[in-house]
Amino acid sequence: MSRKQVKGEYIETDTGNKVARKAVLVGTQHIMLGGKTVIQADAMIRGDLARTSQPSSAPGAAPGSTTAVAIGRYCFLSKGCCLRPPGRIYKGSFTYLPLRLGDHVFVGEGTVVQAATIGSHVHIGQNVVIGEFAIIKDYVRVLDGAVVPPNMVIPSFSIVAGQPARVVGEVPEGGHEAFELRELYKTVGNNPQPLPV
Amino acid sequence: MASFTPYTYIQCPCHDSTVQGRTADDASPTVSHELNEDDDDGHAFDPRAQRSIFSLYPLEYLLYCDVCHQIRCPRCVSEELVTIYCPSCLFEVGSSSLKTEGNRCTRSCFQCPICIGPLAVQALESPPESAPVLSEGAGTPIPSASWVLTCSYCHWNSSEIGVKFDKPQGIFAQLQKLRYGEDQSKHVISGDSSPTKPESIPDTSKARFAALKSFYGSQTVNANPSAGLSGLGDYGLNSPGALTRIMSIYSGNNMNGLKQKNKPTIMREADSHNEGFRLTDLDESSAISQLRRDGMDGTITSAQAKVQVEEGAQFADQLWPIPYLLRTKRSKRCPVCRHIISKPEPKVSNTRWRIRLAANNNAIPTISIKPLNPPPGSGSGLLRPMRPAQFLLTFKNPLFDDVKVTLATPATTPGRFASRVTVLCPEFSIDANPDNDMYLDDVLKDGEKERQRQRGDEGIHQAEAGKIWERGRNWVSIVVEVVPASLRLDPSSVSFRTEGGSEPDLSTLREDEDILEIPMFVRLEWESEASHDQVGATISREKDAREKRELAYWCAIGIGRISQE
Ligand SMILES: [Zn+2]
Ligand SMILES: [Zn+2]
Ligand SMILES: [Zn+2]
Ligand SMILES: [Zn+2]
Repeated sequence: MSRKQVKGEYIETDTGNKVARKAVLVGTQHIMLGGKTVIQADAMIRGDLARTSQPSSAPGAAPGSTTAVAIGRYCFLSKGCCLRPPGRIYKGSFTYLPLRLGDHVFVGEGTVVQAATIGSHVHIGQNVVIGEFAIIKDYVRVLDGAVVPPNMVIPSFSIVAGQPARVVGEVPEGGHEAFELRELYKTVGNNPQPLPV
Repeated sequence: MASFTPYTYIQCPCHDSTVQGRTADDASPTVSHELNEDDDDGHAFDPRAQRSIFSLYPLEYLLYCDVCHQIRCPRCVSEELVTIYCPSCLFEVGSSSLKTEGNRCTRSCFQCPICIGPLAVQALESPPESAPVLSEGAGTPIPSASWVLTCSYCHWNSSEIGVKFDKPQGIFAQLQKLRYGEDQSKHVISGDSSPTKPESIPDTSKARFAALKSFYGSQTVNANPSAGLSGLGDYGLNSPGALTRIMSIYSGNNMNGLKQKNKPTIMREADSHNEGFRLTDLDESSAISQLRRDGMDGTITSAQAKVQVEEGAQFADQLWPIPYLLRTKRSKRCPVCRHIISKPEPKVSNTRWRIRLAANNNAIPTISIKPLNPPPGSGSGLLRPMRPAQFLLTFKNPLFDDVKVTLATPATTPGRFASRVTVLCPEFSIDANPDNDMYLDDVLKDGEKERQRQRGDEGIHQAEAGKIWERGRNWVSIVVEVVPASLRLDPSSVSFRTEGGSEPDLSTLREDEDILEIPMFVRLEWESEASHDQVGATISREKDAREKRELAYWCAIGIGRISQE
C-alpha cells in the first residue's frame, strides 16, 4: 500500500459506507448498500444488470424489485473484485436475477461473485470465482483460488477450496469471531485506524 | 518463495495417552491422573518430535472444559450426532431413515462423477412451448426420458452413460431403478434370508452385505440357537452380552450350554449368489478390448473410482452420478467428565450454538507475533543466521478476570539447529477483558489509541529485561530475542547440535527444518467466580467466593524462516 494517499481517497456516506473514488459502480440506482460497507478501488458492481422488466407478467411487483445487487452491513469488497448478478432464461426470455450479500461478507482481491445469495459472516478469498446462482450460507470460508460451480449450495460452517470447489473442512468452534469485519472497516477510509491488538 | 506467516499451535493434554486412556466409562480414576500430570515437567516439549504433530492445534480448534478446567481438542472429545442433513438440499434426515436408506441423500442431489461438481436436472431438449397445448386434448403423456443430470462445471451429462429420467423429481429413486432394477431397493432394505428367490442376484455391495449377513446369521442360529447375531444387527458390540455371543460364535459352542459340546457343528461358507457369494470375474478380455477401443481417455482416475458408490468402475461409461453424502451437526463432550462442551442448535438453518466453550473465548490468550523493528525495504523476510532479532509477542486475554502469565522456553530450540531464545519478560499479568459492549468499546478504544500515540511520541523505548513492552486494556506485549542458528551442516558450528555425542547427522535440510520454532510453556493463573457445578463442595460459600484457577500448556511458536546463506 502506498503511503502517499491522496486526501479523500474514499467517499464516506451518511450510513458509513466507504466507497473508493476509483471503484466502478454501474447502475447505482439498482445497488443497495446496508451501511458501513467498504468498496475498494477498482472493485466493480454491475447494478446495470437488473432484472429485465416484465410489465405484463408482474403488474403488482414492488418498485424495489429492480434491485440488482443488495449488500448488507460491514461488507468489504477488496480491490478489483466484481459483483455481477446471475442471469438465465426464464419463460423464454433472458433475465438477470438479484445478487444478495448478507452482513460481514469479505470479498477478496480479483474475485468474481455471481451467486444468488451469500449469507452473513462469509469470507471469500482472492481470485475466487463464485458461479451463477450459487448459494452460500452463513459462516463459510472460501479459500483463495477456489472455483465454486454454478448452482452449488454450500452449507453453513464449511471451508471450501479447489477447482471445482468442494468442502474441505469445517469452521471450528473457536473460528466464528474471525468473520467479524467491524475492526477491518475502521482500518480503511480517509482516516484509517490501525488494527487493534 | 511463499511468505511466512507466524503461527502458534497449542498442545492438548491428551498427547499423553496414559492420562486419557480408557476414561470413557469411569471418570474418577482419571482425576487423580490429571493431578499427577505435572510430573512430566521435567522434560521439555519438542514440537518437531514425530508424535507432536498429532497434539498440536491452532487455538480456534480447541475447546475448554469448564468443569475439568482443561483444554480439549478434536482428537479427544467424543462427538454425538445432533442433526443429519444433505449438504445440497439442506433437508434433515431422521436417524431411522439413515439406517434403512443409507448415508446419502435420497432426493435429487448428485455430484458429477467426472469432476464432483453439483449436478442439476435439466430438460434434454427445451420442451416445445406450444406442444402441450396441442397434445392436451389427445391426452398423450409427455415424451418419456426427457430429463438428464448435467454438470455445470465440466458439462458432463448423464446421457453419456445412457441415463435419462421420466420426471425431474425423485431422481434418486429413478436412478436406483435404472441401475439395479425394480425390486432391488426392497432387497437392500429387508435383507431377509428367504432363499426362495434364486433369480434375485444381489449386486450392490449393500445388498451383498445384507445377504452375507443373513446367511451367516442363519448359520450361527442353526449351529447354536441361543447365539444369534441379533446383537450384532444393532451394532451393540460394546455390551458384555454381545461379547459373550461373539466368543460363542468363534468358539462354535455355547459357553453355558455344555451339553452341545459333544456335537461339533460345522459352519459352511456362503457359496451361492443369494447367499452373497460372488465369483471374481477373471475374464478381462472385454476390459482389454474396451481399452483397445477407447484408449486411456476412456479410463478413469483413481480419485474418480474412489468417490463412486459401488466399487469396480474402470471406464468412463461405468461412472454413475454420486448421490451426496449426508453431513452432520454434532455436539461434543469432554472425554473425562462427560459434560457437553459444544452443542449447536439442531435446525440446519440455525447457526447459533447452545454451548460453545471455545478455548480462545474461555481460557487461552491469543498470541500474535510480529518483528519489533520490521526491516526497512522488507528485504527477503528471512531471519539472518547468528544475527539477534527481536520479536513482539502480544498476549490478549479473553477472560473477564485479570490473569497472571508465566512463560518458559528452553534456552535453545530443539533439533539439529539450535537457535538461542530469550524471553525478556517471562512473568506478567494481563488485565481483564472488559464487557463487550460495542459502543462503549469503540469510545474507550479510541481514547486508548490517543494515549498510546502520545506515549509513542515520548521516545523510542528500549527492550529491557523484566519489563513488558506495552500494555493495553486486555493485552500485553513482550519482547522475545532470538539468535537464529546457522543452517550450514557444519559440526563445528556452535549452533549445530549433535545428539548424545554420536555421529553428527549431516543429512540434507529437511522440510521446514529452516523454520525457527520456539517451544513455549505457558502457565496461566487467575481467580474467577467459583463454579457452581461442583455440588456439595462447600454449601456455606460466600456469594462472591473466588476460586483460584490454573491452566498450563505447551505451545509451538513459529517465528520465521532462517536464511540458508
Ligand atoms: Zn486432546
Ligand atoms: Zn439432498
Ligand atoms: Zn462435472
Ligand atoms: Zn471435563
